[in-house]
Amino acid sequence: MDTEKFEIWTMEYLSGELDQNGRAAFEKFVAEHPKYKEQWNGLVETWDQLDSLEVPEPSAEMDGQFYQILHRSVAREEGKGRSWSEGLRSWFGPLFRPQLAYGALLLGIGLAIGYFLNTATATVPETTVVESSSETEAVRGQLVLTLLEQPSANQRLQGVNEANKIAKVDEKVIKALLQTLNNDPNVNVRLAAIESLTNYVDDAAVREGLVQSIVHQESPIVQVTLANLMVALQEKKSIEPFKTLMRSKELDTSVKQKLESTIQQII
Amino acid sequence: MQALTDNALMLQVRSGDLHKMGLLYERHKKRLFGFYYNMNGNASLSEDLVQNVFVRMLKYRHTFTGEGSFSAWMFRTARNVNYDHHRKNKATYGQSEISSVAYKIRDSDDLETDMQQKENISVLHRAMKLLPREKREVLVLSKFKELTFREIAEVLQCTESAAKVRAHRALKDLRTIFLQLETR
Repeated sequence: MDTEKFEIWTMEYLSGELDQNGRAAFEKFVAEHPKYKEQWNGLVETWDQLDSLEVPEPSAEMDGQFYQILHRSVAREEGKGRSWSEGLRSWFGPLFRPQLAYGALLLGIGLAIGYFLNTATATVPETTVVESSSETEAVRGQLVLTLLEQPSANQRLQGVNEANKIAKVDEKVIKALLQTLNNDPNVNVRLAAIESLTNYVDDAAVREGLVQSIVHQESPIVQVTLANLMVALQEKKSIEPFKTLMRSKELDTSVKQKLESTIQQII
Repeated sequence: MQALTDNALMLQVRSGDLHKMGLLYERHKKRLFGFYYNMNGNASLSEDLVQNVFVRMLKYRHTFTGEGSFSAWMFRTARNVNYDHHRKNKATYGQSEISSVAYKIRDSDDLETDMQQKENISVLHRAMKLLPREKREVLVLSKFKELTFREIAEVLQCTESAAKVRAHRALKDLRTIFLQLETR
């Protein structure tokens, strides 16, 4: 057999590309050809040894730095103003490469800002600050939504923590936090979601969502946390869900006692 | 969201939804980190290079057409990032962080077997270090990174058969270096 053909065949075998018949044919060929057999035995040994090279886990700082970069890129992209850039590209696209068009655009923006700063009154910087902070809030909101969808519990926790940094959350974020409270498989993430939602208990929808989530909770610690919160809020609507929960056979005895005293305290 | 393919996510990034890059990062950060760690033997450098890949993918997102596989496009970018880094720094495998090389010892009560295994892994690390970068690269891609040879061919910009031949020769060279080091 041609050496190159054998090399290709070997790699197909080692990488698992061959089906059962293909593997059997390869093994038969090797067994019948001592010249290839010797070479094969050595290679398969080294190939298997490579499995023993271990790779450590990347650190949490890598995630933090990546999300900072992404954050900045998103803010820059949104700050660019799409209609302007698209307009310029359609005008200059056939004549210039995109880099030149963007260069011209940035130069234009630079000149405009320079002119603006020269003539602006004292109120202008305040407007810019307000705009940029609301932009940051929007970006952070998006980041929360993305992080809450992650398979890793750590990432989802990070998502809830990001939500705590938002001064005024929108409906989407509230909905995502409530969904996390009701469906997240990790108890710590659910607890963090309760803590985060307590920042917005003035919002009737949040209170309603918290009340409705009571019957969905199976973890004793989450049930007790919600009970404490409902006492603090004196939320009478929570009495019925707590009673429903108490009828559940699986309910922990000490949690049951806690819920009884909770109902007493709310009434 | 998980049901979206990598290609579909990257096309959304391309059309301006940059947040989707976060999902791609979560899916591929460990693969990329492993690629760099196996190439350079340095964990903190590997983390920096992973960042650079994502920065570059964001910057050149318009070049992703969706025709080939996202993994191949990502590893092609990763490969370029690695070349650029070494061109600028002239660093070699594990130069600054050789102590971070980790060993994976299988459970065994036999101390002698453990020592032998540890020695073999150490020699293998040295052999990898001595293998020319292009060869180490094709070996790492074919052994660890869950890429098919079709994708590896896309990364290396050659035919599928050529990628297999290169991987075979790299493995053969690694074996030769390993045996030479072992007999020293």
